[in-house]
Amino acid sequence: MRDKILFVFGVVAMGILAWNVNAIARLPEETQQGVTFKIIFFHVPMWMCATMAATVALLASVGFLVTKNFKFDAAAVASTEVGLAFTTIGLVTGSIWGRQIWGIWWTWDARLTSALVCWILYAGYLMLRKAIEEPTQRATFAAVFSIFAFIDVPIVVFSIKWWRTQHPQPVFWSGGSFPPDWTHHLMWNMLAMLLLGIVMTAVRLRQEEAQREIDSLRRMAHAL
Amino acid sequence: MDLTAPLFLAQIVSDEVRLQHEYEYLSYGLTAAWVILAVYVLLMVSRERKLKNEIGRLRAMLEDRRK
Repeated sequence: MRDKILFVFGVVAMGILAWNVNAIARLPEETQQGVTFKIIFFHVPMWMCATMAATVALLASVGFLVTKNFKFDAAAVASTEVGLAFTTIGLVTGSIWGRQIWGIWWTWDARLTSALVCWILYAGYLMLRKAIEEPTQRATFAAVFSIFAFIDVPIVVFSIKWWRTQHPQPVFWSGGSFPPDWTHHLMWNMLAMLLLGIVMTAVRLRQEEAQREIDSLRRMAHAL
Repeated sequence: MDLTAPLFLAQIVSDEVRLQHEYEYLSYGLTAAWVILAVYVLLMVSRERKLKNEIGRLRAMLEDRRK
């Protein structure tokens, strides 16, 4: 049943993307940025999904520390890994947009730097997990690290409000200038990415369950 | 003789070059996004296969030991 739901989610996501990419291609040029602005329809949904994944990882990590239930640990690692993939895409698409619009691939402004720190922290979380053998110790250290890493997430989100940055100010809220019909396409892309993220996280979660089964089979093999 | 024609033509060529440049970067962005996503999905599929093989191998080994 779970596989069927995931399959439906995946098909719906691909359907939305196929329809929406076609619709986005037909949108007119933006006056300042030309057609390059269309990267935003992928860049922003990726970051939104990455932020949601980080939030799920935080909640799951707190859940593990409170209950010591390994299902929370599996949820934390699954959402962190998928979130890291989205963060990578967010950084790369942003950098390509910056090269065309600003003339530079990268600048050390508050938004970009905090986003890179976020990527490094979550990549560090995955590396930390590989470095610790004992499952309970690994899950506990990783949960604490994940909570620590989440401190950077609000800094990334609000950096453009707190400091003067080269990164553009929000265009969707706080009096942003994004036209409503373009926002509509952005929201569809966000839904599609979210569905893809859910499918990937669920698959990754199942892999963690399989890994736990392998660990228990190995213990049984040693005991025999 | 119409002196504005060459200027108009130059403007069209310049717009064409700008548009081509913008589309180039848009395509880089979209390609990068899909390539990263595809690589991650492929890594996941490969990991899934390895885990299934490992579970099968361990189950077979446990069966052998029980016999």
